[in-house]
Amino acid sequence: MNTLVPVLWPELLLIAAACGLFLLGLARTAASRRLAASVALLALLAVFIQAFDMPTMTGDSFGSIFVSGLSQYITILAAGIGMLLVLLAWPSSPGAVGNSALDLGNAASEFYALLLLSIAGIIFVAGANDIILLFLGLELASIPTYIMVSISRPIPAAQEAGVKYMFLGAMAAALMLFGFSYLFGVTGQTRIDLIASALHSSGGTLSDWALLGVVILLAGLAFKIAAVPLHAYAGDVYQGAAMPVTAMIAFIPKTSGFVAILKLMYMAGGPNWHVPDSLITLLWVLAVLTMCFGNTLALLPQNIKRIFAYSSVAHSGYMLAVVTALVAARNPQTQTAALQGLLFYLTAYALMNTGALAVLMALPARIHGREPAPPGTSAETYHDIDGQGRSHIVLGLAMAVCCLSLTGIPLTIGFWGKVLLIKPIFLAAGEGGGQSRMIWLGVIMVINALVSAGYYLNIIRRMFFGDDSGAAESPAAVPHVSTSLNLAIGVCVFGVLAVGIVPAAMNLLSGHAVVEVNQTTVAATPAAPTALPAAVAANGR
Amino acid sequence: MPQYEQSLWLLILLAVPVVGAILATALPLRLVRAWAMGVSLLTLLVSIILGCELPGAAGHVLGWQGTPIAAINASFSLFVDPISIWLVLLTTFLMPLVLGFSIGSIRERQREYYAWMLTLLVFLLGVFIARDLLLFYIFFELTLVPMFFIIGIWGGPDRRYAAAKYFLFTFAGGVFTLAAVIYLGTVTGSFDIPTVIHYAQTGMGPTARMWVLLGLLVAFAVKTPIFPLHTLPPLAYTEAPSGATALLAGVVLKSGTYGLFRLALPIGLVTIDGSGPANLWVIKLVGIVCVIGVIYAALIAWVQRDIKKLVVYSSISHIAFCVLGLFALNMIGIQGGILYMINHGLSIAALFLLIGMIYDRFGTRDINQLTGLGASMPILAFFFIFFTLASIGLPGLNGFVSEFLTILGAFTSDYLGIIFGVLAALGIVLGALYMLHMAAKIIFGTPPDPHGPKNDIGPREIAILAPLAVACVILGVKPGLILDPMVEPVKAMSQPASPLAGSASDGGPTAQVNAGSRGGPPSLALPANNSASLPQLAQAKNPNPTAP
Repeated sequence: MNTLVPVLWPELLLIAAACGLFLLGLARTAASRRLAASVALLALLAVFIQAFDMPTMTGDSFGSIFVSGLSQYITILAAGIGMLLVLLAWPSSPGAVGNSALDLGNAASEFYALLLLSIAGIIFVAGANDIILLFLGLELASIPTYIMVSISRPIPAAQEAGVKYMFLGAMAAALMLFGFSYLFGVTGQTRIDLIASALHSSGGTLSDWALLGVVILLAGLAFKIAAVPLHAYAGDVYQGAAMPVTAMIAFIPKTSGFVAILKLMYMAGGPNWHVPDSLITLLWVLAVLTMCFGNTLALLPQNIKRIFAYSSVAHSGYMLAVVTALVAARNPQTQTAALQGLLFYLTAYALMNTGALAVLMALPARIHGREPAPPGTSAETYHDIDGQGRSHIVLGLAMAVCCLSLTGIPLTIGFWGKVLLIKPIFLAAGEGGGQSRMIWLGVIMVINALVSAGYYLNIIRRMFFGDDSGAAESPAAVPHVSTSLNLAIGVCVFGVLAVGIVPAAMNLLSGHAVVEVNQTTVAATPAAPTALPAAVAANGR
Repeated sequence: MPQYEQSLWLLILLAVPVVGAILATALPLRLVRAWAMGVSLLTLLVSIILGCELPGAAGHVLGWQGTPIAAINASFSLFVDPISIWLVLLTTFLMPLVLGFSIGSIRERQREYYAWMLTLLVFLLGVFIARDLLLFYIFFELTLVPMFFIIGIWGGPDRRYAAAKYFLFTFAGGVFTLAAVIYLGTVTGSFDIPTVIHYAQTGMGPTARMWVLLGLLVAFAVKTPIFPLHTLPPLAYTEAPSGATALLAGVVLKSGTYGLFRLALPIGLVTIDGSGPANLWVIKLVGIVCVIGVIYAALIAWVQRDIKKLVVYSSISHIAFCVLGLFALNMIGIQGGILYMINHGLSIAALFLLIGMIYDRFGTRDINQLTGLGASMPILAFFFIFFTLASIGLPGLNGFVSEFLTILGAFTSDYLGIIFGVLAALGIVLGALYMLHMAAKIIFGTPPDPHGPKNDIGPREIAILAPLAVACVILGVKPGLILDPMVEPVKAMSQPASPLAGSASDGGPTAQVNAGSRGGPPSLALPANNSASLPQLAQAKNPNPTAP
């Protein structure tokens, strides 16, 4: 117990706050129930601030939890984005149970409690050094999201989305458990570092059974990150959920999924990340399919939430590409660069995507025909945003910044994200076999950035140059943007531009984490944590 | 070997329009035009100071060395040499004139317009003074964003489609260049342009160089545009407001040709062991494409009814000369190509501004409806004829020298040859045909209403056109102003040795950081032997005796 509290305090704090919120939901007076959002924000703020000082390279006495720079980074990221999500869900007025994009009914405190649980789940995943804890963390991050999708607004589409998400999520969970059972069966271990060393004790390749387990696990995780061919749910779920929840499911499953994929690759490849060639090929194909399908699908819909759903699939593809580079590389410096690219892109994507969705939230839906807009509806279609950038210039520019960043235009965080993703891919091309394969991966990625420009630019185009002659009929022509929403948009846009203009901030964001990832476990190689600049400089050949 | 002298003026050159653009969004409406004008004039002043400082600098190069960013080893490094200074001056010279024109024609959402224009100025200057490959790409790509909004908000009737098409086409070229740029930076271990060039010439295999060259060519060819990609600009150029069109054709387009000269040629083609260029077929291909472009675009221009489109196609036809000169890969051709960038920028910008003045008055650009302007608008008619002649290359005006040099370059080139020169010269004849055809139609002829009101251009518009005309005359009679200082840097193209080795001794701590963190072969010393390293450049001073 004594060793667990210092190691697990972020999770414990968040879960305690979540329990408190569940009780608060039963409070007699509405006034006390309204405190829910503030409590959630405070809990996340405490974790966020304290995480900067958290001790790393420690673990519990059983070795099932290991707090490294990676978990510190993910804790800061999850708590930070979590605060943004609370701001998005913030009640629009003191008496309200939601805001223009969110209608929680009586479940407001439960909503925030579930959000905290989900965030605690991500932090669990980052710290887990045991496949059972890893699985529990993944499920703790996922299960609350199923409920939040359904309770976010009282319309049938949200219920349908929640049910669909839950059943498919349950299938993914079953797949993952199945895969874990193979790994346990082959090695007789549950600790991640022991599995890694057991799988590589012979020094050779993985046994067929271990490989089968890894592939099944990868399938389960592919669902979490919405990789093709397990992406089909994304469109309906993103569209059905209210906007703050859409922003959440673009962040939480993706982040926990990619951290888990890192741990999986560590198990399969050992401290040197040497995985069998067939697995590299599988990841390559997965990455290419995910990028290409995601971007192509996103060109079609008229509903912008659906576009963001498929674009999030595409962004998963970019990150899978860098995972491919991580395991294909033979040089530790390249692997460091790949890890940094992945971790940096997680932050970049979370900031720019949340920012774009927050702007959409701030714009009202226009009435289609005679139907009044259902509660909890904000701008969703191209028709809703036509010409809005002209009438609300600041919101329009914020959207333009986020969309340009998602496309990867310079001076934004997204550009540096793309650079950091492509660089390790090209570095890996020079090492080991399959050189041209990795070059092609980089080229396919930039072509995909071009395809994505097709729909991101269309959003900007409709906002600024669109025809808003029909807007006069709309009663809610002037959006009421609450302070909290303004704050969230401001933080996202500031982050996107600040890192874009001063790219030295990239190191602050992920440099420290990367140094320690290679030592995720106690048993890992005692490679000295080389300073990143030196590592990169040595890459030149 | 050029020495890099730290010069704060380079930073000031970028900082002035940045501050100007930010403040322009906050100023009251009545001040914003004067403010934008003042900022652009101040930028012009800074660039002139920079130009005056340049000849005194060691090796004729001024630089600014930023600290490299650890994760990618790119840095905020700037430089200006006797070649790029002219493009900087062209940009800062045209901008006040374009803004002066816009005062009359932009009536709505002026704050945004001037803010975007000044932003565009920053990015354009950045392209011409970047010494870091990634920084170059960043500025190169960023020029898209202000252009997208300027075309989309203040453009003609079809502006929305034109803006999106312009953005997507140019971005399409850009992504391949991004891949090439990151690849180059990755294999070199640094994004410093001289280092990258040196590594490409010494350490890269021919196949890798070919792919990198093609990746670079795509974006520059779209921006320029070279023949099969010529369908892009007419729409964007025609729909953009006239001031922006003048900038598009005058300067933005030059970022493509500048990229060809600064990056594509040395990285993809030049070899330093004197064994002839790598990827000879690319030279041939570009040569053929340029010749087709010269003639084909001229023929299209001939049949245009919209005078703005006519000038757009004439610009495509003319810029192909410039590319042809650069790819001749000899001293004359490259000098001519660079001079062509400046001259083309002056005359084409003037023509677009003139067309904007006509359009503002008559609301049409149809060649059949505009007639007899010479009678009602004698001053405009004078300038129109003047710039038409400058554009078709009348001796004594600027266009002649550069056209002559590029064609001579193609004639004497070891890789292109007589047939390219002859065919390109055909383009000059065609150019004279369609330009004079247009001038004759709209300036001469009977005015529709001989006693109609006189609405000739006023003092403001004369003040816009007169400096351009003066510049055309000066460059026409004294091209040596640009050509002479250029000889050394063009020769040095063959051996862009690591200049950091030189600057590390006097460049202060930042230079040493870069030199230290950059790994690999760039620290190799090169033989400081200019003439032997690239024979074709050295002997080009006296043209090939076998040429007619």
